[in-house]
Amino acid sequence: MLKGTGVSAGIGIGKALLIEEHSLEYTPVTITEPQAEIQRFRDAVAATKKQAEALRSSAGEKEAEIMLGHISLIEDPFLTGEIEKLIGGGQCAESSLEQMCDMFISIFSAADDDLTRQRAADVRDVKAGMLSVLLGIDEVKISDAPEGSIIVVKELTPSMIAEIKKENVAGIIAETGSTTSHSAILARVLEIPAVMSVDGALMSIMGGDTVICDGKTGEVIVSPVESELNEYIAKRERFVKEKAELEQYRGKPTVSADGTKYELVCNIGKPDDAAKAVENDGEGVGLFRTEFLFMDKTSVPTEDEQFDAYKKAALILKDRPLIIRTLDIGGDKEIPYLGLEKEDNPFMGFRAIRYCLKYRGLFRTQLRAILRASAYGNVSIMFPLITCVEEVRAGRLLVEEMKDELREEGIAFDENIKVGIMVETAAAAVIADVLAKESDFFSIGTNDLTGYTMACDRGNGNVAYLYSVMQPSVLRMIRRTIECAAKEGIPVGMCGEAAADPLMTPLLISFGLTEFSVSAPSVLRLRKNIASWTKERADEVATEAMKLETRYYFLEVRGAAEGF
Amino acid sequence: MVSKALVITNAQGFHMRPASVFAGAMAKFPCKVFIKFNGNEYNAKSPLNLMAACMKCGSEIELVCDGDQENEALAAAAEMIQNGFGE
Repeated sequence: MLKGTGVSAGIGIGKALLIEEHSLEYTPVTITEPQAEIQRFRDAVAATKKQAEALRSSAGEKEAEIMLGHISLIEDPFLTGEIEKLIGGGQCAESSLEQMCDMFISIFSAADDDLTRQRAADVRDVKAGMLSVLLGIDEVKISDAPEGSIIVVKELTPSMIAEIKKENVAGIIAETGSTTSHSAILARVLEIPAVMSVDGALMSIMGGDTVICDGKTGEVIVSPVESELNEYIAKRERFVKEKAELEQYRGKPTVSADGTKYELVCNIGKPDDAAKAVENDGEGVGLFRTEFLFMDKTSVPTEDEQFDAYKKAALILKDRPLIIRTLDIGGDKEIPYLGLEKEDNPFMGFRAIRYCLKYRGLFRTQLRAILRASAYGNVSIMFPLITCVEEVRAGRLLVEEMKDELREEGIAFDENIKVGIMVETAAAAVIADVLAKESDFFSIGTNDLTGYTMACDRGNGNVAYLYSVMQPSVLRMIRRTIECAAKEGIPVGMCGEAAADPLMTPLLISFGLTEFSVSAPSVLRLRKNIASWTKERADEVATEAMKLETRYYFLEVRGAAEGF
Repeated sequence: MVSKALVITNAQGFHMRPASVFAGAMAKFPCKVFIKFNGNEYNAKSPLNLMAACMKCGSEIELVCDGDQENEALAAAAEMIQNGFGE
């Protein structure tokens, strides 16, 4: 058995298709007509660029971005200039190209950061593509792989993966690569089981061999005996069955075993992600982070730019809810034009609502943009990092002022737009009774709430053990917040990671949470999990959990959720 | 010839996207544009050169433009670098 790193989950069983590196060997010759050779090189650049552009237009978004990078390398004026100089000196195009590319490959390979080292693979990819064109070699087409193929390759390049026909490729085995390499990300997007860093794969596997690859454990079995084959066929069935089981929950409402209905929505960071929420059957968006609009810019985005982005998400979601969180930034984020100073303690510093209430021009612009977008869907506004009631009042006052402005200008917006808050500080949880009277809804941000309550930075290895939403203190914060919301009759959601944790589900049902906001891929799994609980059973678990003096962790709850 | 001392501000330095975007923007100017860093000169119209320079966040560089439209090129380049390529 071979072993590598599983980078894309699933079981692949099929016939090996070896993508041998074709020999890109040639005999360097001395050129007598440099001008003709330069022309031959330029034609090759144009042809390679055309290939890359063809891949780019047929590929998904991620692949397309990588191909765009390749095109900029192919056209690099320094690279082409130096190559043409070498050709002018009498060297043939192939060896000139190789010499220059190899120089960059060795520079990048020697870099002290991972990101730059990864660029060596891109240059190798570009070099191989250009050499193939110059040498007139037809690449072995991965796009021609017959159904049930397991691709075995030394290095899976992004351009290879852009050629893959998903329905024909049962799995991928590569000798190099890791979880974070570009092609691993792409394999996951395509949902093809993949194992990388498999030493000697091309030596041990023959074309046509039956091969099994387990994209989770990283195991690769060549020519399995019957018992192994049956074992993995069963494993694959389980994997596929589980996926299919989850699919049964698609299009269904989110209800507990005794019929209580919940809202199951998604967290998104870009307008396009709204489409992912819909694809994954999310019932709307419980948290739209707006930071991206500010981080991808060289200056504050205009009202129209913001309006376009919010409107786009609203239109994708139609009448499904869309909760837009106002700017949540601080000294830990790089937004140079905002003039945020580096702070000793940015998480307790000048950030989020505190910043917005000081720099009101920026805040007004964002509120106007959100209000204008509210004419196009079911939009709500949410303020981050609330710690006292004055912040809610000041924020709401500004919303009213912006409404007045828009009314005077005759611009449409939703008069009844809801304005809610994030409960993500210990302060907010403790005065949730007060805040519930002045907010239209709550959303509990468990990541920050846990950090602030436990006074613990989970990125700090020395204290990370304290960071758990299951701590009695954090659970009490959550319970209190939900109870205060229920008392005032306002909806209360959760948009932190804990919302999707099966261990938390019975507690949240028992406490009375009304909305779960999770990452898009978690939607169906959580809906299935919610369907397995009755209020009565959830109350039993919650009662026991809240009696605990130490961290909550019920193995049987986890086991029931994961099916063991 | 005009030049300006600058500090790289975006977290990951000149990785693929900023290098391509920056080099692409510089290619539009007729003058020579290069970056002096760590005692070497790098062609700022070449993404490969920019990436190979391994400039990191906080790296101090000197930006030099020489030729037609050198002032415009310098202003555009400085703005992109100071804004951290909008990241």
